[in-house]
Amino acid sequence: MIRIEPEPWAAMVAHARASYPNECCGAMLGAAEGDTKTVRQAIALENAFEGAQAARYELRPEDLLAADKAARERHMNLIGIYHSHPDCDAYFSATDLRNSCPWYSFVVLSIQKGEFHHANCFLPNVDQTEAPKEELIY
Amino acid sequence: MAKILIPTPLRQFTAKRDSVNVPGATVGEVLAALTTEFPDLRKQIFNDEGKLRSFVNVYLNDEDIRYLGKDATPAADSDTVSLVPSIAGGAAN
Repeated sequence: MIRIEPEPWAAMVAHARASYPNECCGAMLGAAEGDTKTVRQAIALENAFEGAQAARYELRPEDLLAADKAARERHMNLIGIYHSHPDCDAYFSATDLRNSCPWYSFVVLSIQKGEFHHANCFLPNVDQTEAPKEELIY
Repeated sequence: MAKILIPTPLRQFTAKRDSVNVPGATVGEVLAALTTEFPDLRKQIFNDEGKLRSFVNVYLNDEDIRYLGKDATPAADSDTVSLVPSIAGGAAN
């Protein structure tokens, strides 16, 4: 289960709305106790995908490295990644799965006509063959 | 003994340690020592052929080892090794 506190959740939604009609992406920092995770801070990262970003995103590894350093400095953990799906549902696409990493929770925000609609969270497996849903509370 | 920073979700395989110091003259030796000491980590980092999984990047301090000497990149005691995933995606299938 992953719970996102109000402040980072508001930041994630604002980031997704501001990036519409393109996809946004970012990192989620917080605490993890076994299978229970709490997001306390969201860090907006640049969508580095070269090409149309309406249905694609890419994170720079250097940006993730910096996010992990920021988490350690703040005595938090890097526990997840978020991105938006403009004008479509918050599913985990084949592209999401093929380019995922099993170490983190993946929150997908559906933005419909520029407004937040719904969100889901997924946990990809190590072989990148499936990504079951993780309970998401926001 | 280079220091390896352990990503949060992998700490379940390193007795909850967020960093580990392991011996090795190169990054390849350091990673081998890490997965020897913590065998459950191997599947997370390496595929069945013993190669780094496609989503795993290895950084020596702030440099991607692909642009240094790859596995043969020298690792000193003062160096920090980080495991950084490649992540992308999008709604398009």
